[in-house]
Amino acid sequence: MDINLFLQQFLNGLSIGSVYAIFALGYTLVYSILGIINLAHGAVFTLGAYFTYALMGGTFGFNGLLANATLPVKLPFAIALILGSSLAGLVGVAMERIAFQPLRRKGSDPLLTVVSSLGVAVVIVNLIQYLVGAESYTYPAGAYGSLPASINFGSPENPIPIRSVQIVIFVVSVVFVAILTYFINSTKYGKAMQAIAEDPTTASLLGINTDGFIVLTFFISSFLAGLAGTLVASSVSIAGPYFGIAFGLRGLAVIVLGGLGSIPGAVLGGLVIGLVEAFVPGEYSGYKDAVAFAILFVMLIVRPQGLLGRRFIQKV
Amino acid sequence: MSEFFSTYGSLIVSMVLGALLGLSLYLPLMTGQLSLASPGFYALGGYTAAILSTKVFTSTSDLFPIPLLLIEMVIAGVISGLLGVVIGIPTLRLRGIYLAIATIAFVEVLRVLSLNLEITGSAVGIFGIPQPFQTQIEYLWIALPLLLIAMVLFYRLERIKVGRAFTAIREDELAAGAMGINPTYYKVLAFTLGAILAGVVGAISAHFLNTWNARQGTFDASIIYLTFVLIGGSRTFLGSIVGGMVFTALPEVLRSLADTGGLPNWLAQFLRDGRLIIFGLLIVVGTIFFPQGLVTPDILKKRKVKNKQI
Repeated sequence: MDINLFLQQFLNGLSIGSVYAIFALGYTLVYSILGIINLAHGAVFTLGAYFTYALMGGTFGFNGLLANATLPVKLPFAIALILGSSLAGLVGVAMERIAFQPLRRKGSDPLLTVVSSLGVAVVIVNLIQYLVGAESYTYPAGAYGSLPASINFGSPENPIPIRSVQIVIFVVSVVFVAILTYFINSTKYGKAMQAIAEDPTTASLLGINTDGFIVLTFFISSFLAGLAGTLVASSVSIAGPYFGIAFGLRGLAVIVLGGLGSIPGAVLGGLVIGLVEAFVPGEYSGYKDAVAFAILFVMLIVRPQGLLGRRFIQKV
Repeated sequence: MSEFFSTYGSLIVSMVLGALLGLSLYLPLMTGQLSLASPGFYALGGYTAAILSTKVFTSTSDLFPIPLLLIEMVIAGVISGLLGVVIGIPTLRLRGIYLAIATIAFVEVLRVLSLNLEITGSAVGIFGIPQPFQTQIEYLWIALPLLLIAMVLFYRLERIKVGRAFTAIREDELAAGAMGINPTYYKVLAFTLGAILAGVVGAISAHFLNTWNARQGTFDASIIYLTFVLIGGSRTFLGSIVGGMVFTALPEVLRSLADTGGLPNWLAQFLRDGRLIIFGLLIVVGTIFFPQGLVTPDILKKRKVKNKQI
């Protein structure tokens, strides 16, 4: 492979890997606090993309209940991105209240909670289909303002063009990973969350409002899913209600690869899977979707605790 | 009556097949293993039958010979069973959510393979699969005996040593191991039996649906079969059968409810187009209020006691 193509694919992989990372961070946060996989995470990803689309003044197609509807506002991309992701975060909070809290109160089997999250995913995905139809949507032109379509990273004789969208995705993802890492490791709230992840009962005995922090965790987790959804949609256009399902499954591969519940693991896992996918040769591109799962499958058999995960101790 | 069967024939057969699929997922669950691999084996069985009947067993008669269909079912079962052992031995060391994720990965890898290989008809799939019967309802001749045999076997299974070992592992794997039960052996056994059943059902479904493609074995399918078992009842095989039948029929029932007339327009439209939203809500409500599913062993026991009193 010539060096230019290599660099180009490397930067593409880094960009998609960084979105995998912020998406997977949301998964892993909920897992580390509650010990469950929220399978509705992919559906919230899709929702985030639609919220931002609507806030930017996008019009819905003719297929759903909201045919030809447009919001009266027309926000710039950066503001719509934050607002849209926050709305996704609020959906996460509602989801926690409706589908997770009752089960937690009863002390149900965590696997039942996983099933309940599947129910939420089915509701969200089909609600989207019901409201806006199954067509694809392209973000309004000029989403990225006056940025050129691509930026050249090489010399004029030796060009390595990278799409600007990819760079925006990478930068936004890195910024949010940094904010989250700072929040978890260096603030009072982050430390409280770590305490709950370690041992919820002791944490609540120490005066930490466990329920409040679980709500906060769901907000952050779903915010990150919505953010990832918007970023990916701005690069490829939203392809209907099922947009996030495949991404949601790939997020599973990312967090297991990195180590369930591990924050640096989610980032590392995202980058590894993004990069490996970027280097799948063109003639085998049909198999690209299976790469993450093949890695996941092998990883589970060889080292189930993941790259950075802790070895689990079996309690008797 | 014949009008009824021609209208609902395909739904009735689907319900029986749904019940069998529910059972295929219930088998690993008997040992406490949440495996979502059934759709993968179902797809594999379907592809086996689709390829055999369109490429190998090409017959000139109008109807596809039933003995050949039975042979296909056996071959599909054997292939699924062998793959079940190969996949089961390494993955069943994993527990809980890890096993669920590993089986999701397995189904996805199979799906991508079938989308890309030539023999499976890539994205288009295989169509024009020959029909062994004149009408759809006649598929009951194959599906219903299979369900009845499965029910008898499950009834027995829950009462013999193997079944008791399954339950012991579900309740406490370490304790079961200490009692001399080999957990790995029984877990792989339950997983493989589930795989065989899913493969055989796939072989029937391929003929029944007349076409087979990568959409048959997806993550969505995993969710739907899981609903059969968990909402139907995960503690007795009857739960999976009831769940499989009810949840296969539910979308059709809602659709016909919408067509009854007299309903406000918005409600009728919601019942018609929002069926899956209702489906999802039922999953959420079911897991919260009926954690063991609708059909539980307790319900069955209470009935028995009552009968005795009378």
